[in-house]
Amino acid sequence: MRVVVAEDLFLLRDGLVRLLQAHGHDVVAAVDTGPAALSALIGEQPDVAIVDVRLPPTFSDEGLQAALAARREVPGLPVLILSQHVEQLYARELLADGQGGIGYQLKDRVLDAGQFLDAVERVAAGGTALDPQVVSKLLGRPSRADPLAVLTERERSVLALMAEGLSNTAIASRLYLSEGAISKYTTTIFAKLGLAPGEDTNRRVRAVLAYLDAGHDSP
Amino acid sequence: MKDVTSRATRRQPEPGRDRRWWGREVARGIYRSAVLTGLLGVTPAVGLAVGFFGSQDTLSWSSKLTAPLAVRGLAAFGEETLALWWVVVAVAATFVLLGRPLSQAARRLAQRWTGAEIEAGYRPVPPLTRLATGFWWNGYAYLKSEGEARRQAGLYSRTRDPQARRDALWLLVASVTVLPVAALSLAGLTGGICVAIMPGFLGWGLIMIAAGLVLSPAGWRVFGIIAPRFLGPDPRSRLDQRVDELESIRADLTQTQSTELERIERGLHDGAQARLVALGLSMGVAEELIDKNPAAAKEVLATARASATVALDELRSLVRGINPPVLAERGVVDAIRALALDAPVDVTVTSSVPARPERPIEAALYFTVAELITNAAKHARASQVTVHLGYDSDTLTAIVTDDGIGGATKARGSGLSGIERRMAALGGRLDMESPSGGPTLITVTVPCVLS
Repeated sequence: MRVVVAEDLFLLRDGLVRLLQAHGHDVVAAVDTGPAALSALIGEQPDVAIVDVRLPPTFSDEGLQAALAARREVPGLPVLILSQHVEQLYARELLADGQGGIGYQLKDRVLDAGQFLDAVERVAAGGTALDPQVVSKLLGRPSRADPLAVLTERERSVLALMAEGLSNTAIASRLYLSEGAISKYTTTIFAKLGLAPGEDTNRRVRAVLAYLDAGHDSP
Repeated sequence: MKDVTSRATRRQPEPGRDRRWWGREVARGIYRSAVLTGLLGVTPAVGLAVGFFGSQDTLSWSSKLTAPLAVRGLAAFGEETLALWWVVVAVAATFVLLGRPLSQAARRLAQRWTGAEIEAGYRPVPPLTRLATGFWWNGYAYLKSEGEARRQAGLYSRTRDPQARRDALWLLVASVTVLPVAALSLAGLTGGICVAIMPGFLGWGLIMIAAGLVLSPAGWRVFGIIAPRFLGPDPRSRLDQRVDELESIRADLTQTQSTELERIERGLHDGAQARLVALGLSMGVAEELIDKNPAAAKEVLATARASATVALDELRSLVRGINPPVLAERGVVDAIRALALDAPVDVTVTSSVPARPERPIEAALYFTVAELITNAAKHARASQVTVHLGYDSDTLTAIVTDDGIGGATKARGSGLSGIERRMAALGGRLDMESPSGGPTLITVTVPCVLS
C-alpha cells in the first residue's frame, strides 16, 4: 500500500515509517506540517494517509483540517487521524460525508503494532476504525429521543464494535459468539435502523452514521 | 358612601384639608430647619463665640493705653489678629472632634428626608505594625513609641482622610448656604414674636411671623440640593476602594494559581512519573530475562506496555484539566460544543461570536460554562440546557439556561461566587435569575476586544 504520514514529532513519525515499511507498505511521503500534508494528500492520493490532528505552523487542528479539505477534493480518500485525545466533535465532522475510509485513533494505539496495522488496513479498504474511547463516548450518552432505543443491549454492543470498524469475524471473537450469530445481529440492526440492503461495508458505515445522529442533532 | 366622599375630596380638595396639609408642611419645615440649624450651627457658633469673647478679652488689654491714635490702632489690629487665630484654632478643633459625627448625621438626615443614599468612603484607621527596626508604622509615619503612633493614626484619620477633608468642605459650604436659609425662617418666627410683644410693633411682628411661616416649608430644601454634591464619597476614596477590590482579586488569583500548580505537580508526581519509573524497572527486568527466559520477558514487556498506556491516560486527563485540547485547537465555541456532546444532559449550543477571543478570556469563559453545565445537571437536575454565546459592543456574553429546579444562590463559598470572583478578575460579571422551582438563567459577561 502507498501511505502518506503527517506527524510533527520526529520520533513518532520515524517509528510509524519504520513500522509501515517493516510490514511491506510503501511510505510515499512523510511530512511534518499542515500545508505539506494537504499537498501530499492531494498530490499523491495514497491508499491511506496517517495524519496527526495537531500540526505546525499553528499547532491547532491543522492536520484534521488538511484531511477534511483533501477529502472534499478527493471524496473517500482513506485517512486515519491520530491524536493525543479523541473528541466526539471531530469524529462527527470526519464521518459527516458518509464516505467511509475514516479512522480516528488515540496515539497510544500505536503501541500495539498489530491492532494499529489492522486499523490502517481497514481504513484503506474503505471501512471505519474509531477508537474505542470515541465509541464509548458516543454510546455513553443517555438521550430521551433515542432511535437506538429499539436495539437490545447485545445489538448495541455489536453496533459499537461495528463503529470501531471491526469485521463480523473480529466482532464474533470479541464477544465470544459464532460468526453466524453476529451476521444475524447485523442484519437485525440494519433492519431496525431502516437501512436498505446494499454493499456491506457501505451499510456498516451508514449504520455507524445513524448511530451518531441518534438522539441529538449534530452541533 | 364613604368611598364616594373620599373620591370627591381627592378631585376637589376641601379648604379644610388643604389647610391641614399646609399646617403639616409648615410644621415639618420648622422642625427640619431647626434640626439643620442646630447641626450646622455648631461650628460657626463656636467660631463666633470665640471671636466675640476673644476680641473683648484682647481689646481690653490696650483699652487703657494712652498713646497716639496710630499706636493704639496698631495694638488693636494685633489683638484682633490674635483673636482671629483663636477662632481658627477653635473651629479646627471642633472639626476634628465633631466633623465626622456631624457629617454622618447629615448623611442620615439626607437619607431619611430625601431618600438620597449617600455613602461615605472613610478609610479605616490603618493597623499598627511593628517593624524589624523597632519602629511603629501607623500607615502615615514611622514612630518610636507605640502610644504616639496610635494617637497620631487616630488624629490623621480625622484630618488627612480624603473623605474628612471633603467633610470640611461640606461644613464650609453648608454653613454659607443651607444654614442661612434654614436659619432665616426660624429667625423670622422668633424675631417676629419678640417684636410683636414689644408695645407698638405688633403689626411688624405679625408680618415677620407670616414671612417666617411662608418660608419654612421651603427653607430646609436647599439641604436636599447641596447634600448629595458635597457629602458623597471623595473620588480618591472611590479609587481606594477599587484598589482594595483589585488587591483581593489579585490575592485570589495567586491563591488559585498556586493550588492549581500544586494539583498539576501532584498529578505528575503520583501519576506519570511513578508509571515511568515502573516502566523503567520492567524494561530492566525484561532485559535480564530476555536470554534466559524469553517467554517471561515477553510477559514483563506486555505489562510495561499496559503501564505506558495508563500513564498516557493519566497525562491526557491532566492536560484536559489544564488546557482542554479542543479549546487550544479550535477556540471556545467549538470547545463548548465538544463539552456539550460529552455532557450527561441535552445541551444545545448556539453562537454568534465572530472570532477567537484572547486566550485567558477564552479559558475563563470555557471553564465557567463547563461549571454551569455541571451545576445544571447535578444541582438543578435539569434535562435540557441551552448555551448561547454572543458578542456585542466589546462584550462577550454567555447565557446559560436550564429547565431545572432553580434556587441557585451566589452565597459566599458557593461555586457561583467562585465564578463571579474569577470573572471579576477579568472585569466581567455574573447575573442570575433562579427562582425556586426554576428555570435558571445565568448570564456571564466579560469585556473583550475581538480583532
